[in-house]
Amino acid sequence: MRQVPEVQAAARPQKHEKYPWPEKPALIGTEVKRIDGPEKASGRARYAYDIKRPGMLYAKILRSPHAHARIVSLDASAAEKAPGVRAVLPWRKAGEKVVYQGDEVAAVAAVTEEQALDALRLIKVQYEPLPHLANVEQAMRAEAPLVFEGGNVKVGAAEENGDLAAGFKAAAHIVENTYNTQVQTHVSLETHGCVCEWQGENLTAWVSTQAVHGTREGFAKALNIPMNNVRVITEYMGGGFGSKFGPDVQGIICAQLAKKAAAPVHLLLDRKEEHLATGNRPSAYARIKAGVSADGQVTAFDAETWGTGGAGAGSGFPLPYIYQFPNRRRVHKDVYINAGQQRAMRAPGHPQGCFITEVLMDELADRVRMDPVQFRLKNLPDEAPNAMWKSYFPMAAEMIGWSRRHPTGDPSPGPIKRGLGCAANRWGGAGRGTRAHCEINPDGTVIMRTGTQDIGTGTRTIVAMVTAETLGIPMDLVTPQIGDSNYPFSGGSGGSTTCASVSPAIRVTAGKARDALFARIAPQLGAAPEALSAGNGRISAQGGKSVAWKDACKMLGTEPVSVDGEWEAGLSASGTSGVQMSEVEVDIETGITRVRRIVCVQDMGLVVDAKTAKTQIYGGIIGGVNYALFEERLLDRNTAQMVNPDMEFYLIGALSDIPQIDVRIVNQPDRGVIGIGEPPAISTAAAIANAVRNATGVTIRSLPLTPDKVLAALERAGGTN
Amino acid sequence: MAKNDQGGTDDAGTVSRRDFFKTVGVGSLATSVLTAEDAEAQATAPRAVGPGDVPIRLRINGREHALNVEPRVTLLDAVRNRLDLTGTKRVCDRGSCGACTMIVDGRAIYSCSTLAIEAQGKNIRTIEGLASGTVLHPVQQAFCDTDGLMCGFCTPGFVVATVALLEKIPNPTPEQARKHLDGNICRCGTYVGVLEAALNAKGVARG
Repeated sequence: MRQVPEVQAAARPQKHEKYPWPEKPALIGTEVKRIDGPEKASGRARYAYDIKRPGMLYAKILRSPHAHARIVSLDASAAEKAPGVRAVLPWRKAGEKVVYQGDEVAAVAAVTEEQALDALRLIKVQYEPLPHLANVEQAMRAEAPLVFEGGNVKVGAAEENGDLAAGFKAAAHIVENTYNTQVQTHVSLETHGCVCEWQGENLTAWVSTQAVHGTREGFAKALNIPMNNVRVITEYMGGGFGSKFGPDVQGIICAQLAKKAAAPVHLLLDRKEEHLATGNRPSAYARIKAGVSADGQVTAFDAETWGTGGAGAGSGFPLPYIYQFPNRRRVHKDVYINAGQQRAMRAPGHPQGCFITEVLMDELADRVRMDPVQFRLKNLPDEAPNAMWKSYFPMAAEMIGWSRRHPTGDPSPGPIKRGLGCAANRWGGAGRGTRAHCEINPDGTVIMRTGTQDIGTGTRTIVAMVTAETLGIPMDLVTPQIGDSNYPFSGGSGGSTTCASVSPAIRVTAGKARDALFARIAPQLGAAPEALSAGNGRISAQGGKSVAWKDACKMLGTEPVSVDGEWEAGLSASGTSGVQMSEVEVDIETGITRVRRIVCVQDMGLVVDAKTAKTQIYGGIIGGVNYALFEERLLDRNTAQMVNPDMEFYLIGALSDIPQIDVRIVNQPDRGVIGIGEPPAISTAAAIANAVRNATGVTIRSLPLTPDKVLAALERAGGTN
Repeated sequence: MAKNDQGGTDDAGTVSRRDFFKTVGVGSLATSVLTAEDAEAQATAPRAVGPGDVPIRLRINGREHALNVEPRVTLLDAVRNRLDLTGTKRVCDRGSCGACTMIVDGRAIYSCSTLAIEAQGKNIRTIEGLASGTVLHPVQQAFCDTDGLMCGFCTPGFVVATVALLEKIPNPTPEQARKHLDGNICRCGTYVGVLEAALNAKGVARG
């Protein structure tokens, strides 16, 4: 599985020489409505799930009901004869093993979905169940059966800095506790999958993916065909959050069934498969001993951490998060269990590290009787363009009215306790190679083409905006063409890198197209190309003639301007900072937490579309509310079966669960574009956890903050008051 | 005439009450003590259909469609897979997320949890029936204006649920709007814009 790592690059770039971002933009930084909104709101947008091809079959995958088993025999003969069945594909052979509930075993393509499902039931598989591990506790026992080759636990190298013994010696107080976060699944509303169609040796695949080019490569490698023979199309896709970067097993199965049946095949997973087999955010556990000096300086941090990313996958996360412990040590263990493998999920690792560190920070602050904001200001790194927390904490405090915060534990009578909490986030972002092609037509319309994809962030709108800005024309003259691997290369949409990869490429390509237009029409305007400028829908010669854009384009005759360009340094940067604060109400009789308000101060470098940027921030925060209060993949401890592989027991908040959210975006135009998909999702859960602690006076060191944990913590603390 | 084990026949219209009592047998009469009304209802109940395709007629967005589906096919799948109206989305497929919301006889329903055969004779409205040509329905326009959508996969369900709300309560309070739309789930987290759209949409006729 391809992972998209956090990218780190220069925090403040050297300004681009030829095509720097405009000093006084017409569009960039304003609120522009998403241009594909009408397609989506009208239901006209066609997602991979919606593709229908002539003669198309529907496929279904048979999956292992066991957490760990050896396949003794597989007999698909009855399925092959079942009504409507056109192809059967055994995916595993006798003797091979399945290592989690939901592991792929075989697949069927039939005329209708119902027939495909019926045929699956006719495939006879005999399994020899093997010992399995259903949770980290089972896997870490000394007497645990060896399920994974090389061991159930993989111990990483120790990360060490400074002098730990000296750090603890300098501490006036020491806090020792264990913290943990849950496994959550991505729950993309459009499940993973695709429609595959062959024409001879050429494959066209409509895929729900975050990476059309990466998926093309994945198909070519797995099917052992040239990349030239594969075309991947993603016009619209229904959410990925880090889990959709390749064809995956179901994509390869779909392509092979389509080949076998000599017909297009539709294979989109169902909700249960989506929970079991398409990734998750790993759990995190941390046993921490930390020290603080009498005057509130953190001195030492010693942590043993572990977590599970499922069957043979890692579970790393950054720790400690943001705050500067001068002396520290940390050892991490990846624990393998018989469950679906983790994948990158919206800011991989960061919400875990943030929650654990920020709760610890509030506990340390209480030991020295300091206000949590003051305590943080004392222990934050020095301010820099990509480290702005020292400015943002006071700004967020002002927004939420932090001065009214009471010390830990709401002293007011009655069962409803109120509290405030805070937390910080950081992320890399940054851009990388994206290529684009621009055509200016003689009628004044413009095509900007690049093989990126819109995963819901508004990429299509950004492409049109930057093109229109650079050419000085209205956006409706621009047709952005994206979501096709036949277009110029662009990377996967992960790591919050899309906007910072695509915007500079479009800026450079549109700039080159503008220059090419100038060169072509300058003689007719009686001016040197260098003396021309574009803006307000006109082309103007310095101190001379000015013509409307469309009239200028007419001068092209019959041949459009057609240029290629690519991402160049100087228009994007890396490193964002943000601070969030939360206000909650906890009912100490029921244990139910309601988040009343979240405030957020967040930067992202140069803001491109202020409207969709804000929507992204809302979305991140709402994801954080879900992570804090509701979401958890529950595996039965005896069978390792997921007990909530649906959307009624796997909880995701609805409108009534959403707090008031106030966002303050800090624009940093001189830094260039960075990206905003991930940062705001990181610190919400930590801010909520600290607000619950402030409200109730008890510390819950485990996500999600479910009523049972709140009540148990209150009980341990001596019952409700 | 083939008789099924409920004692009905494959042509419910011709069975007499007397025939009905004959076929249900003494045992079930003694234990269930049917009233005359119950018996009448059972006698006129829809005949058993399937397995295998059966012809049905659906009235969708004012247009009659004749199609053949197995009786187990949901209204959602019939509309998406057989009629190629793919604006309505399948997400949870068990009545908990609202992505498949349609308006049937004026009520918002989960079409993933409604059988297509049960929707016959009813007035079915889907996302495709809202816009007129390229002119968006006021609710669709409001979602675009407030950016109440991101990936867009939950959006048709939310739009249809909002239309159903506003046709019932043209000027809802925020509390009413939240309650009414709580049956729909968005994963990208567009709720802020969604609520704003529901409160801002103007010109929706009372249904």
